[in-house]
Amino acid sequence: MSRALFPAQEIGSLMKPRWQILGQHATPLDATARAEFDAENARTHFADALPSASEALLAGRAREVGAEAVRDLGALFALRFLETAGLERVYDGEARRIEMYEYPIRQMRGFQFQGHVRSFDNKYYLKAAVTDEVRLEHPYHVEEFDFVRRHARGEPKLPITGPYTLADWSYNEHYLARQPGWKGRRARRAAQREFVVDLARRAIRPTLAALIDHGCRVIQIDEPAAGTHPDEADLVVEGFNAATEGLPAEFSMHICYSEYRDLLPTLLEAKRCSQWAWEFANRDRDGRDGYEVLKALREYGDTREVGLGVVDVHRDEVESPELVADRIRRAAGYLGDPTRIWVNPDCGLRTRSLEISRRKLEATVAGAALARAEFERPRR
Amino acid sequence: MIVRTGLTGPFPRPEALVAATRDLDRGRATPESVEEVFAATEGEVAALEERLGLDWITGGYLRWADLFRPIAETWEGFTVGPLTRWFETNTFYRQPILHAPPERAAGAILGRLPPAARAHPARGGVHLPGPYTFAGLLDNRSGETTEALVHRLGRLLSEEVRELAANGFATFELSEPLLVDRPPEGALAESVVAAYRAIHAASGTATTIVWTYGDSALPAFPLLDRLPVTAVGVDLAETDWESIPAAPDRRGLGLGILDPRTTLVEEPAEVTRIVRALYERRRPSLVILGPGGPLDLLPWEPATRKLHLLAAARQALADGAGGAR
Repeated sequence: MSRALFPAQEIGSLMKPRWQILGQHATPLDATARAEFDAENARTHFADALPSASEALLAGRAREVGAEAVRDLGALFALRFLETAGLERVYDGEARRIEMYEYPIRQMRGFQFQGHVRSFDNKYYLKAAVTDEVRLEHPYHVEEFDFVRRHARGEPKLPITGPYTLADWSYNEHYLARQPGWKGRRARRAAQREFVVDLARRAIRPTLAALIDHGCRVIQIDEPAAGTHPDEADLVVEGFNAATEGLPAEFSMHICYSEYRDLLPTLLEAKRCSQWAWEFANRDRDGRDGYEVLKALREYGDTREVGLGVVDVHRDEVESPELVADRIRRAAGYLGDPTRIWVNPDCGLRTRSLEISRRKLEATVAGAALARAEFERPRR
Repeated sequence: MIVRTGLTGPFPRPEALVAATRDLDRGRATPESVEEVFAATEGEVAALEERLGLDWITGGYLRWADLFRPIAETWEGFTVGPLTRWFETNTFYRQPILHAPPERAAGAILGRLPPAARAHPARGGVHLPGPYTFAGLLDNRSGETTEALVHRLGRLLSEEVRELAANGFATFELSEPLLVDRPPEGALAESVVAAYRAIHAASGTATTIVWTYGDSALPAFPLLDRLPVTAVGVDLAETDWESIPAAPDRRGLGLGILDPRTTLVEEPAEVTRIVRALYERRRPSLVILGPGGPLDLLPWEPATRKLHLLAAARQALADGAGGAR
């Protein structure tokens, strides 16, 4: 398939609009939520596909249509939001998801939730322990994907949490208990390997297979934990390979806020990964070149595509198209091949307001157009 | 064998406090109502420490945002910087930015100790950043070299310790994960020894414990063996205990027997076997049993379950041949 240089893609979640949050809780929309709904619908006509649900929501009858219909509207909103910003690969902004750990774990057996752990300040995350062998209740994200496939005008790209991250964010009891003797470093590592591979084979792989059966062709495996323990890069790879082996889809691996060099060259053993979707813009400031790390891929002779993070998702300051183009230019130079670059935000935009997110996505697309004009070479 | 037990660093927040602080951030609770939950929980942690017979009472340090914040927000020369990953964990601290040589503000730590620790200073455990970890993890824009900064922080922390010791505090636990993550060498190692010489001297008759955790302590042992403190603690989940040098050590030996990275509770018999073996190998003046790093990597319930093992292990050691005091 022939594409123009530097196509744009989604990478993760969007902030949920106020009307969706209120509607899901069957709370009548206030003036702010209604105005937000009306303005976006006037711009993208996202609600046209579900007229009765939107009518009921606006009439204060959200309870009548149910939370799922409101989520459908939220998914349509996000799809059109991304498509009208000019993205080629889109999803639903993770409109039905509230996080990326608890939901997948709740689709499996063998886990027990233990409580909250403080991440920083007054922010916490829920953590489960694996207390028995991992078993999948049923493949997940499938209905969510079906909805996107029915309504997307762009190419659907599904994000799913990877096995290494699910394992790293859990406590390992079951597999560790099976290790003989004192549970030191060696025992922990062996137990973690078993856990990651079991998650990959018994839960992620069947889910991916089901998604592919439903027509999913582009899948992003999210491994944000990959950078937490650089000496476990081989486990990231082992999990990725076990989850994807032999499956007919285009897989990418999303990692963010990590020292990528520490994961190389081990990470390059991820056999079926055709794209690295990494964060760069966040580190491209204060005189530091955030894209220089791409040299390492060239040094190792890796020729996969790169999902290039060109806008920082942790700052409200909107990048100019010129800055985005400059980032693409530098990345192309380091990779030695502009045709391998997709552009995207560093990570999910859920922490930014929808207005800031829209402007950042538009800057992404406009910057790509500027860079494309410079390179003037059609993509294969 | 003289055995002491106590917490290393902060304890996790229970679900009620999690909910209260979340509500505060979302504008659904008042600071006064959350303060009540904090006070009640600190009392609960202190009561648990008492009930388990731990040798110093901390109250859990539940209000401390991170290891450095009480100092970064009060001493001169600092601002509080960006969120930064805390070693190989999914927890974060705000990196202190040092703009100029730091100056201590009197009472900075005293005013921020949990009330449970303040109530009975002689039994209160004081949790402090170690000078090497502090110097190594801050963003140093002061123009001072790291060696000079370790010296300076050692002096300032020793003043802090002197002030607290004068107020009756008798146990100081200095958190030094960086000592095993990036063991210092040469002049930097000498600055660490000098810093601890100052801190220990300032403590008078109090107990000073340097706790290392998060990585194997083996590469750092040549330096750890030289630190002039009451005891040095190592994380037994990370350190291959069978390789710990057999050199006799007249100081105390801290053994991190609870792994905060897993909810799986350690086997008491296995713990006592290892403690006995290490005691025979090092013949320390004192054995301190604690977690191998702060237990706030766990939720409240599993951390509480694990904490009971400290008391159980101590009892088992007392019941065994030779006994424990």
